[in-house]
Amino acid sequence: MAWQWEVDWHLETTLDGLALDHDGWTYAVDFPATFHQKKQWKSCVRRRKWIRYRRYSAMNSWCAIAPLHKDPTQEPFIGVAVGGQSIPGGNPSNLLVWAITAHGRVMFRTGVSTTAPEGLRWTAIPVPSGCEVNQISVGPTGLVWAVLWNGRALVRAGVTRESPTGEFWLEVGAPEDLKLAHVSVGTNAVWAVTRDQRVWFRKGVRGESAGNSEELARGSGWVEMVGNMAVVSVAANDQVFAIGSEDRCLYFRTGVLPSELTGKQWRAIHAPTQLSRTSSNASLWSANYRHSLCGGTPREKRVRSWSSLARNSCSGDAQSLIRDWEETSRSAPTPTSLRLQPSLWQKSSDGASLTLQRPSHSEDSVSESSGAGQLEKRNEEDTQSSQSSNEMISTSAVIQEHSEGAVAEIQPVFLVGKGGEVKKNPTVWSPIRSVGSMVGMEAHPESDGSVFDPVSGDSGVFGEEEDAEAMYWADGDVAWCMVEAGACAVDPLCLPSWFVEAHVASEVELSKPWRVKILQELKRRLPEEGSGFEKYEKAVEMSSWVKTGKARCQLKDSNQQYEDCTLELEWVGSEKGSLDSGTLSILSPDKNHTKMQFSLSEITCVVCCSEPSKPRIAIHTPKLTKGSSPLKLQFSGDTDMEDWMANLTSVCCQMFGVHGPPSPGSIWITTGLGDVFVFDPAILEASQLSGEMYAQELDVAGKETPYEAHLHNGFPPGTILTIQGCVHDSCDRFSINLQCPSISQRHKNETDIILHFNPRFPESVTVRNSLLSGEWGAEEREGEMVFKQGSEFSINIYCEEDVFKIFVDGNLYTYYTHRQKPHRITHVGINGDVSLNKVIYQSKMVIVPPSDMFWRQMGGHLRRVEACSAGVTWGIGYDNTAWVYTGGWGGSFLKGLETSSSGINPMTDTRSYYVYENQRWNPLTGYTSHGLPTDRYMWSDVTGKHKRTREKTKLLSMHWQWVSDWSIDYHTPGGVDKEGWQYAIDFPATYHGQKHFTDYVRRRRWVRKAQLSTSGPWQELGSTKLVDVSLQMSSKVEIDSLVDVWAVAANGDALYRRGVSALCPAGTSWEHVPSDQTLASISCGPDRHVWAVGRSGSAFWRFGITPSNPIGEVWETVEPPTGKTLKQISVGCFAIWGLDSAGQLWVRREVTPVFPEGTHWQAIPTIASDMGNYDKISSSSSSSSQNNTIGFRHVSAGQVQAEIWAITATGVLCRRHGITPDNPAGTGWSHGIGVSDMLSQIHLPQ
Amino acid sequence: MANDREVLREIWEGRLPVCFQLNSEEVYSLQAPDAYYLMVPRLSYFPLVTDKVRKQFVRYIHPDKQEAEMWLDFNGQALKWHYPIGVLFDMYAADSQLPWNITVHFDKFPEEELLHCPCREAVESHFMSCVKEADVLKHRSQVVSSMQKKDHNQLWLGLQNDKFDQFWAVNRKLMEASGEEVFKYIPFRCYRGDGPFIQHLVRPVTEEGQRKTLQHLIQEVFPNETNLQIMTHGIEPPWETPLQWMSEHLSYPDNFLHLCIQTS
Repeated sequence: MAWQWEVDWHLETTLDGLALDHDGWTYAVDFPATFHQKKQWKSCVRRRKWIRYRRYSAMNSWCAIAPLHKDPTQEPFIGVAVGGQSIPGGNPSNLLVWAITAHGRVMFRTGVSTTAPEGLRWTAIPVPSGCEVNQISVGPTGLVWAVLWNGRALVRAGVTRESPTGEFWLEVGAPEDLKLAHVSVGTNAVWAVTRDQRVWFRKGVRGESAGNSEELARGSGWVEMVGNMAVVSVAANDQVFAIGSEDRCLYFRTGVLPSELTGKQWRAIHAPTQLSRTSSNASLWSANYRHSLCGGTPREKRVRSWSSLARNSCSGDAQSLIRDWEETSRSAPTPTSLRLQPSLWQKSSDGASLTLQRPSHSEDSVSESSGAGQLEKRNEEDTQSSQSSNEMISTSAVIQEHSEGAVAEIQPVFLVGKGGEVKKNPTVWSPIRSVGSMVGMEAHPESDGSVFDPVSGDSGVFGEEEDAEAMYWADGDVAWCMVEAGACAVDPLCLPSWFVEAHVASEVELSKPWRVKILQELKRRLPEEGSGFEKYEKAVEMSSWVKTGKARCQLKDSNQQYEDCTLELEWVGSEKGSLDSGTLSILSPDKNHTKMQFSLSEITCVVCCSEPSKPRIAIHTPKLTKGSSPLKLQFSGDTDMEDWMANLTSVCCQMFGVHGPPSPGSIWITTGLGDVFVFDPAILEASQLSGEMYAQELDVAGKETPYEAHLHNGFPPGTILTIQGCVHDSCDRFSINLQCPSISQRHKNETDIILHFNPRFPESVTVRNSLLSGEWGAEEREGEMVFKQGSEFSINIYCEEDVFKIFVDGNLYTYYTHRQKPHRITHVGINGDVSLNKVIYQSKMVIVPPSDMFWRQMGGHLRRVEACSAGVTWGIGYDNTAWVYTGGWGGSFLKGLETSSSGINPMTDTRSYYVYENQRWNPLTGYTSHGLPTDRYMWSDVTGKHKRTREKTKLLSMHWQWVSDWSIDYHTPGGVDKEGWQYAIDFPATYHGQKHFTDYVRRRRWVRKAQLSTSGPWQELGSTKLVDVSLQMSSKVEIDSLVDVWAVAANGDALYRRGVSALCPAGTSWEHVPSDQTLASISCGPDRHVWAVGRSGSAFWRFGITPSNPIGEVWETVEPPTGKTLKQISVGCFAIWGLDSAGQLWVRREVTPVFPEGTHWQAIPTIASDMGNYDKISSSSSSSSQNNTIGFRHVSAGQVQAEIWAITATGVLCRRHGITPDNPAGTGWSHGIGVSDMLSQIHLPQ
Repeated sequence: MANDREVLREIWEGRLPVCFQLNSEEVYSLQAPDAYYLMVPRLSYFPLVTDKVRKQFVRYIHPDKQEAEMWLDFNGQALKWHYPIGVLFDMYAADSQLPWNITVHFDKFPEEELLHCPCREAVESHFMSCVKEADVLKHRSQVVSSMQKKDHNQLWLGLQNDKFDQFWAVNRKLMEASGEEVFKYIPFRCYRGDGPFIQHLVRPVTEEGQRKTLQHLIQEVFPNETNLQIMTHGIEPPWETPLQWMSEHLSYPDNFLHLCIQTS
């Protein structure tokens, strides 16, 4: 069976995100009506919904499609083509399958999608009379070309989103007086081979517009290409593969670019093949095969390298991919009697030999990128089975797009197993019985017993697994006869090493005697130790260099104009790298005066903040420029900007001694531009550690009283504060206050002071007291006066469980019993006529002042990064591709400077650019693009405030490329009509897809996709598209403990990744976790808490998770805060943090082991919009509801220090302080780096 | 492709211990200065590494000479600053004991023997012109002319600051045999005795397409001689070493193979 039940029938117990009672009934007045959760007096009917999940289990195995007639030999298929995954405006999960029969009929398979790859039924598409189709090809945009027996071609016109089968055929003649033999359609390219083996390119074809224009569908003429080929195949990105007509070798067309679709030259692909030795067509497959292969065998690498090739071709919708991970270890019922020599093909015992034309399905063999020097041979079975073994999800993608194939070898004819064997072993595949599966609709088991074997009720899908040992690698001459590249996405700028044999040679060179001798002699050039030479001074010890360049700078205010300047980056480094120092100077263009100059050690972050055609860098120096936005530099070009970016990043990293992969406790952030940054507390840790405590010397230089400083870890028991200073002669009294964040209420600031230590000289007494809620408590005045005017002092305040222990000049002075929990303390304040020499703050935990955190760019382009304390880090790209951190650093942004030697992989990402077309209705002409004078631009961005036109939309940098044309977006939120319009009463309003009587304006969204090519320390993880992921270490005991990974797939399903650990960060397979609601966000936290947020805005927590059942049992609904819809959730140590769609943060309170779902949501007030200032204390009053507050964009809860970080809607990084088990909501925020729209996501290690 | 990183690294790490001594005739102060010991990279040029030496000795010489150009000799042989240090050592001092004793002069600049080196930029322009000449031989100048100014700069800074990665990030491109498998000609210079260096056009493969080795090169350059000893980077590369590989891996930063020839 192609489909399998996943769980039993159960009731849906939610309605629109609200929980229903346990019977699941919903009530209404009468049947066709709106149902409600509550029973009312007028409720006359009720209904409830039963659900049962099924999954497509025929992934990674061949599932026979029922023949057209009872007798499969009556009208066999002779060709099939799959495409249409990117019809303009269409749903990418819908695919088009066209086939042709031996009678020359053209059949279209309806209902084929990634979730139902077998489709529903065949529909005959009539061809003009006298046309008999010989071969067919369909491109990714749905454009269909077919070759006729008479050598001419047919083109299907009018293939659009609404009419996927097209409207009518156009006939196209062959070049010159030749006859076409083979044609292949890409996106904007059609290639053909004529019967004399010459290759032709059809110019003027534009796949994306072909549905609307006959001219662009049929192209304008044939151009002959050099070379003679037998078969040619065009991939979705217009890359071309071919098989030579004489040598039958695989060729790849190099230099095919969007600007030059014809490419440059043919190059032979070095394509070793793995052949199967297994010849028995009854060999067994093992369901456990994949488990046996989990451990990083060479196959796995191969599979990965392959899956990265297939990246682009795998459609965005992962639904079906997920459904099926378990049973996929069966491979295809591939021709096990695979032979290279047709003469060896057997006939089945009953003599009724069935021959079927197979769709091409094997992909080419990419020799291992690691280049072990071994040439490998493999065939399709191997690839598929190893895919299934290690990467379930990508496997299924392979199957779906299989007949689009990859570079392929076809078995034009293959043979079927013997009937006798079939009977004995029900798992052996046989087409006779497979047609009885649910797959084919033309023939039914119930009605057509003659075709179906009754014994084989569940044997629709069979696979066969080669034993690993049963493979051998052969380098023999394979004469290819078919290539199919539809699923192969090769980046022409970054080709796999298919052509290079050089590295093989160098492997050989390594052991050559001359090389060995040279290396030995080189190593022997200087005498060994003891010669004294090692004490010699190094000639090049201090390396210093100055880099200068021109730029435009914006020094302070973000409203300021950019002005011309000269940059000078001077860097002096020692060989050890410890004494590095550097300066960045911003000079006037003539270098005559200095606008700004600072040490590189002041820099906390160098980040790209480009806008299209404005390459910019922001340099954050929070300590220098308190409260102002970072220094921004604008360069004349991308290259210049990247050069500076690379140099600044590299120099800063050396400056801070940041090398290598970040420690597992690092904090990751991503910017709105997709850049990934990391803060590694291990570096601070090393510098702060003194004894068992972490010490931070607060900055007092040049500061006068009143002095206030932030105590970043608060003042829990165990904390020590040391203050050294000098009392002035004129001093009357001074005070040291350990205080809470100020609360502004009714226009006056109130600050609770937990400890007020106040020597008063006239009274000769030292008063201790607390100020709580504006009221001073009872003064404690015991003890002698130990301070003297005009002399130095040293005060140590130790916080203990019950008391503060206060030492003066090393002697115990007094105790002060806690009147309030010391956890609330966030600041120290010093007032009075004293000068401060030193203030040292010591804490049991590493002190991380947000303004001191150095953020280092890691490379890659990601939307989200999630990490866990086991050191496993995952990322999600803008195209929802999942990536796993490799442990490297660097990538293309560093331009070869200080990049790690391994783990850097090419990456691509896709983002959509949108432009809105706005129109207003007027009584005479209807909707036109003439708006009112006050109206928004007729072409604008989503807000309508900025003019945007399609023509003037520019890409962000030279690394982006357009991969599509502008097209109408039919998936705009809110719904659209047939032409993509959305209507509203007026701008700006809520838009709806149906035109109403009162609608005076309408808009539609145009979309164009751009693709980025970059590289970074990330490894692609299959083709399952994710929208969210969360990692959590299952247990801390073992060294290589398992990590729980929960994810939300692009279709809103929850997934659990099996087998993830520090040694195997990518894990092995996905497990689908059924949920009634489509999910948007997921988070797993300590103690096996897993929470999710549905697209409807309500929250869920997972019940029943135990060590033995990490997946849990059921989702329990948690209602969102009244009237709010949650969009993101993060599980912390003490509480669950939620973020609603308005940017408001909520904390789930009273979460206990008994009630893991908690009791209520507590609102966290938004922060004042003037909170640009670093280190300023924010309001924690729960009553603040002023308009000038800003919400949040993202929140993340960490486990190590129970910390909470958030990014405000304006892109400023904040840390919540004052978090304790008793008060998990904390008391206030402190700020780190940030500028408008810069940061988008943060993640703390879980 | 120069991808044998182990060899490249070893070549780059080549160092020579040098003992600089001020020429005793030039000592002006009462006390002769101590010798100055320095570990210098074989691949570098003397003007790039002797700033400290000059600083050390300039206090001891006649005030009138303090602005004069410093020059070096070994056993009376003036050392050409525009040859890589390793080449000078292999030419003149290969047999002598380490450290290499070099005499420092500020007076009597040997105008006939040495070029003046007014500044580091002079070294840079000499270096870059060598790189360009080598590229003409290897790729008909296609690679170096497609490079940007900053690449040239990085090449130079990498050498000057002894930064292997910085240098090779750019030099890699120069060492690629683009299109074809091998270079057009192998850039090399042979040094023999006091005369000028010898340079020929030598292809890395024979007309039959077979890889040439060091032996082929020697036979082409010195057709009638036997018993030659080839020294580069302080070693004697085996004669069967392929020329293409040698050029990729054993070239000095200026992209030339510098071979010191001695008759044994």
